[in-house]
Amino acid sequence: MAQLKIGVYVCNCGTNIAHTVDADSIVETVWKIPDVTIARSYRYMCSNPGQEMIINDIQGLELDRVVVAACSPRMHERTFRNACKSGGINPYLFEMANIREQCSWVHSADRLSATAKALALTKAAISRVRCHEPLDPLTAEMCPSTLVLGAGIAGMTAALELALAGHPVCLVEKTDRLGGNLARLDLTAPYLYSARDVLQERMVRIRQTENISVLLNSQLKSLTGFIGNFTATIANGNPSADEKVLHVGNVVVATGYKEFDAARITHYGYGKLPDVITSFEFERMLRTGRILTKAGKEPRYAAIIHCVGSRNKEFHGYCSRVCCMTALKYAQEIKGAIPECYVSDLYIDMHAFGKGCEDFYKKSSEVKTLFLMYGKNERPVIRKAEPGDDCEMLIEIDEKLSGERIEIPADLVILMVGMEAREDSGEVARLVNISQDKDGWFMESHPKLDPVATTTEGIYIAGTCVAPKDIPDSVAQARAAAGRILGRIAKGKIEIDGVFAEVNEDRCSGCRMCNELCPYSAIEFDETKKRSHVIAAACKACGCCVAACPSGAIKGRHFTDQQIYAQIEGVLA
Amino acid sequence: MAIRVNPKLIGELKRYGAEDVHNCYHCGNCSAVCTHADDVFVFPRRPMRFLQMGLEKRIEGILDPWLCYYCGQCSSQCPRGAEPGETMMSLRRWLTSRYDFTGISKLFYQSWKAEIAAILIVALLTASGFLWYGVSHGDIQTYDGPSAFLPSSMVHIFDWAMASVLVLLLGINSIRMWWLTTGSNEKTRGPWWAYLKCLYLLPLHFFTQKRYGKCETRRSWLIHLALMLSYVTMLVLIMFFLRLLQDGPGIRWAVHSFGYLASAGLLFTIGYAVYGRIRKTEVHLNHSHESDWIFLWMLLLVTATGVLQHVLHRTGTGMAANVAYLIHLALVVPMLTLEVPFSKWSHLAYRPLAMYLGDIHRIALARRPQAARAMESLKMAS
Repeated sequence: MAQLKIGVYVCNCGTNIAHTVDADSIVETVWKIPDVTIARSYRYMCSNPGQEMIINDIQGLELDRVVVAACSPRMHERTFRNACKSGGINPYLFEMANIREQCSWVHSADRLSATAKALALTKAAISRVRCHEPLDPLTAEMCPSTLVLGAGIAGMTAALELALAGHPVCLVEKTDRLGGNLARLDLTAPYLYSARDVLQERMVRIRQTENISVLLNSQLKSLTGFIGNFTATIANGNPSADEKVLHVGNVVVATGYKEFDAARITHYGYGKLPDVITSFEFERMLRTGRILTKAGKEPRYAAIIHCVGSRNKEFHGYCSRVCCMTALKYAQEIKGAIPECYVSDLYIDMHAFGKGCEDFYKKSSEVKTLFLMYGKNERPVIRKAEPGDDCEMLIEIDEKLSGERIEIPADLVILMVGMEAREDSGEVARLVNISQDKDGWFMESHPKLDPVATTTEGIYIAGTCVAPKDIPDSVAQARAAAGRILGRIAKGKIEIDGVFAEVNEDRCSGCRMCNELCPYSAIEFDETKKRSHVIAAACKACGCCVAACPSGAIKGRHFTDQQIYAQIEGVLA
Repeated sequence: MAIRVNPKLIGELKRYGAEDVHNCYHCGNCSAVCTHADDVFVFPRRPMRFLQMGLEKRIEGILDPWLCYYCGQCSSQCPRGAEPGETMMSLRRWLTSRYDFTGISKLFYQSWKAEIAAILIVALLTASGFLWYGVSHGDIQTYDGPSAFLPSSMVHIFDWAMASVLVLLLGINSIRMWWLTTGSNEKTRGPWWAYLKCLYLLPLHFFTQKRYGKCETRRSWLIHLALMLSYVTMLVLIMFFLRLLQDGPGIRWAVHSFGYLASAGLLFTIGYAVYGRIRKTEVHLNHSHESDWIFLWMLLLVTATGVLQHVLHRTGTGMAANVAYLIHLALVVPMLTLEVPFSKWSHLAYRPLAMYLGDIHRIALARRPQAARAMESLKMAS
């Protein structure tokens, strides 16, 4: 092997590493390894002086390989690769040894062994970096069109945001109208804006915006390709109509939620007692402008039950987030329409987070709503009243704030049904290749730092298909997704990491085993050549296909057999 | 067994002065700042909850409202403006009407017009009665001595007759209070010896109101104590030394010095309360029910006419003194006969009684089996 010039840098990470690992002894030992031109330790390698140290050594000592023993590559691999690039060598001629998360932090009790392990890891990295090859990132074109799935408030907002920035959008809606679940509501909490007004404005603007094409009664049939270059097939509900094939660069999934089926809880008698209704049925009542029981009378006693299907072991453990404020809105609306009506509000915890909500809660108290607290995993029981009871129904609950078991009268009971993932969410997740959590909600790339992106590049999620949320949050997510996409479109081209799998076509037998295995649908089969090939942009370099290929035809770039063996030998050396 | 709520109770309490109870969301700040609340008597929070829910029987059965002296700390710490202090005050009014077997108290608290009308009727009856007696038995120019217009011997007998009626009425209502809060509940009824052991608490709390002294605002306690002691001094003078008090024209310092002191005490403390309620100077004076005003004005007028008749007599105008005396009697009789058993003044009996019964509750609860107590405290905590 040709003579190499390797620079080795051991980071102290303040005391994070130095407290447990003797960095200086590692420097001394690795200095003796052939080809190691320079070895240094420093307080913080990731700091500017640390990076400059690497850059200066590459230039001054003509280094051609760099090893940094520091934290996890997830933390700073990119930092040091960039430093290598600035120094003038290919960023992939760099290797990182994790001596913090996988060494000093977990072996803090034994300095000697920890130092030995850190040395072994550093040696492994030195051994591996010898086999590194320079790699170049790929670029691909970015198609400026976007496909938006779902025309609720989130979908419409994302579509408008993208279209008004001058890019074509195709808005696909399963039903025959725009508006989604929001179109079923009357007023919105806590500021009592009319849902109709909120939607009307969006709908008018969508119709007036030329580069949005709206496809109603339509569904995504298939999606192939990768970021910047997806091909989507849209099927119309009408079987005789042709399928539409679209070329899009990004996809926003905003398919929304469905409400919990109240009949699943038998205690509430939904479907049996005529005046036990769901929140959506009550919204319909509010939109017609009259609050009446089935018998056509004004209720003298109204009860609102929270957390129907939510925050419960049996159904959904999560909070549906919007029901508390909606319930308070109902209390105020009933009191407004029928001032002498006795309104009781049966809740588990009052979740009044968010702007204006605490005031809204207080206002509901001021209109004289009776708040009754019941226990999690307990349930109020509703029964029909006897003729002498002076009301239609009686609700029995164990009231937590007083410790009393009480009975309250009710003529009308409103069940605050929670949100749940739509039945077709699994199908959508499969089509666009994103994951779902245990409740069926679509998963974010990172719940805090990357809440609208998914693990599949180019696929974004927004609104209540991600988790229950209110209108402002849905709109914010929709705009965030649109913002992310606009950023990608503005760059024009997409850069694809040089690390991906490659099929050696001469060796490929066309067995298609890898096609099925790839979790990112990144391998396509070329029917004419009868060979598989990897879409570099979609590949995440997980290595599944490399391990599975019976012909050994697939190579993981930057994770070649040779490199991995070298690393193992380094550890054992 | 589930208790049926009374949806109308909270509306009913509005007439007694509780207007903001709905605002309470049970953070518990009020009970945390209260120096008197403990784990047996969890107020104001517990009564607030019972009231919100309309659990009438439960409120009837608790002593909590009487253990509060209304320093107002709870109301000033309340994040929701639910006025727990005023709610306790309103509950005391409501409980007074519940203890009263005649139903007159309920009528008075719900309608100030009824109370004023009753006062006017009793005042007119009293005035005409004494006028008739004076005209037929004495001389309007003579204030003291055997031929006086309103001789002290006659007024003395009248005073004792009236006092007996008042004690009887208040006694019956106090027994009702014992039954509702203590006697009817086997958990709190307590053993017979507890009633003897705690007996000293009745005079102790009556005369010292020492629990009031533990409230954050010590000044309110001192003012209240001064008012009470002044009144009691005057009461003793009238009930036992009326002849000496009325005889003149010389000043009997052995008796009158107490009278002057008591009058000064009354005028000062009533003035303080009236000013405070008009200007809303302290939390507990922010909300004034009609019954508070009627009580205060009656007390002020009674004191003023009492002082006036004395001054007029000593300055030598017998007839004017007799007219002032007549007005004084026409005010003092309705004030005592209506305010003591049926209105604000009944707290002179209920409050010390509640302190007394409270300690009996503690003894009774401590004697209950451990398991039952644990269950109850658990229930309370949840």
